[in-house]
Amino acid sequence: MVMATKAYDKSFREEVYKNVDSGEDVKLCMQCGVCGITCPLRDKMTHGPRQIWSLIRAGKRDEVMDSPDIMLCTSCYTCKVRCPRGVKVIDIMHGLAHYALEQGIVPRAETAKFGKVFWDSIYKTGRVDETEVPMRYTLTAGPIHGLFNTLEMMDIGRALLSHKRMKFKLGPGIPPSKKIKGIKGLKKMLDKAQAMSPGKEG
Amino acid sequence: MTYLLYPGCSLEAGGSHYEVSVEAVFKALQVELKEIEDWNCCGASIHYVGGTELQTKTLNARNLALAQKQGGYDIIAPCSSCYIQMVKTAHEFDEEPELAAELNQILGEGGLSYSGGIKVRHVLDVLYNDVGLERIKAAVKKPLTGLKVAPYYGCQTTRPYGEYDSVEEPTSMDEILAALGAEVIPFEHKVKCCGSGIFFTEMDTCAPLVGDIIGEAAAGGAALISVPCPMCQMNLEIYQPRLEKILKTELDMPVVFVTQLMALAFGMDPNKDAALNRNIVSANEVLRHLAA
Ligand code: SF4
Ligand code: SF4
Repeated sequence: MVMATKAYDKSFREEVYKNVDSGEDVKLCMQCGVCGITCPLRDKMTHGPRQIWSLIRAGKRDEVMDSPDIMLCTSCYTCKVRCPRGVKVIDIMHGLAHYALEQGIVPRAETAKFGKVFWDSIYKTGRVDETEVPMRYTLTAGPIHGLFNTLEMMDIGRALLSHKRMKFKLGPGIPPSKKIKGIKGLKKMLDKAQAMSPGKEG
Repeated sequence: MTYLLYPGCSLEAGGSHYEVSVEAVFKALQVELKEIEDWNCCGASIHYVGGTELQTKTLNARNLALAQKQGGYDIIAPCSSCYIQMVKTAHEFDEEPELAAELNQILGEGGLSYSGGIKVRHVLDVLYNDVGLERIKAAVKKPLTGLKVAPYYGCQTTRPYGEYDSVEEPTSMDEILAALGAEVIPFEHKVKCCGSGIFFTEMDTCAPLVGDIIGEAAAGGAALISVPCPMCQMNLEIYQPRLEKILKTELDMPVVFVTQLMALAFGMDPNKDAALNRNIVSANEVLRHLAA
């Protein structure tokens, strides 16, 4: 955690508008509550999108950044199609999650680990190998825990393999996942895009 | 009729039975599919953990640029998660000149460019609007008479633009299934989310979502659930034994792609074309009288 934290931080909303992807959309919200009510995981969230926006406006940095809610978004787009103000609810949720993770705050550990392995695979090969990524993710738990996780998921893996829905692998990288031909160019593009993203310029 | 196919990562693995059946069905309907050469992952629903929004749009813009180089036909993205990522980037590129300029600056790093205008289409969209129900009906050789099907569209299939079907109450798949002769049950949960991209890492949290979907299908007497998305298919099918433990209830519900049912109704081979042998919760029992 690199940023100093304060209970009331009026600058937080400016920080969100400027640094968080789609963060400026928070300004459009009229607090009608539609997004919160229609979210499929509303029972599992502490605040839900509408309340997260009001916490941002109130400058409650810690409550927003630590909130598991920002990583509980399933990407279903229900909020997006129903919001009367056209707020990109889902994109702000994703943007907040990315922003928190970048600062070492991890609102949901498993999704954070899986998502990182997923993105690394895209960056290294251009695609996601559906055998390799879960393997690598499982191992993020450490060797012992990883082994238990593997055993627990083994029946599913075996079923997928025997139904021709998974490639055979001895281990992560064995055999190595194929790269797309244009991987070099893709990496350059992704690096450039990162440098041009909000909060990353300069 | 020619389209560029964007298979996406899951059609090569977990959704391989979708790919097999999509190709068989489109061939039978005389629609040509050419794969986008050297396509990359769309970022799926979990892209935000590692990448920024602009990076995710870059992934999709690269695919659009490649498609343009390959003739600029409409793209078919069978996976709903791929579809939503691509359709979103395509829209925003066409509507926001500033973003378009940024993306072209980025694409230039890899020697590509995109001038916009390519349409991204879902399998349901092309089947319903371009091929049409009449041609589908005409191809039916073994109608799915008496088969009760719950049509589950999933959350991302018709959202967020509702370009080809209602975002709240879509009917395209219902009508396709009816054209195959199946009995489509009324299904409230047709666009309710199954947990999508976080299902795998948040199984306890998302289990009730899948429980409700399968539960409603079962209560309505459905013999199986029909889906048009490989992520929905995975989430609803392969974890059923684990979900039974979490939810303390019996599930055992086959979840098949709408294209698998089409291949079957078209009288094609149940395994070679419909890839029914790739379903883990077997649908053979409920489809036996049809496959004979
Ligand atoms: S639905 Fe839109 S306007 Fe209403 S509270 Fe949510 S973000 Fe704000
Ligand atoms: S997209 Fe995310 S925040 Fe919006 S309704 Fe779905 S799960 Fe909730």
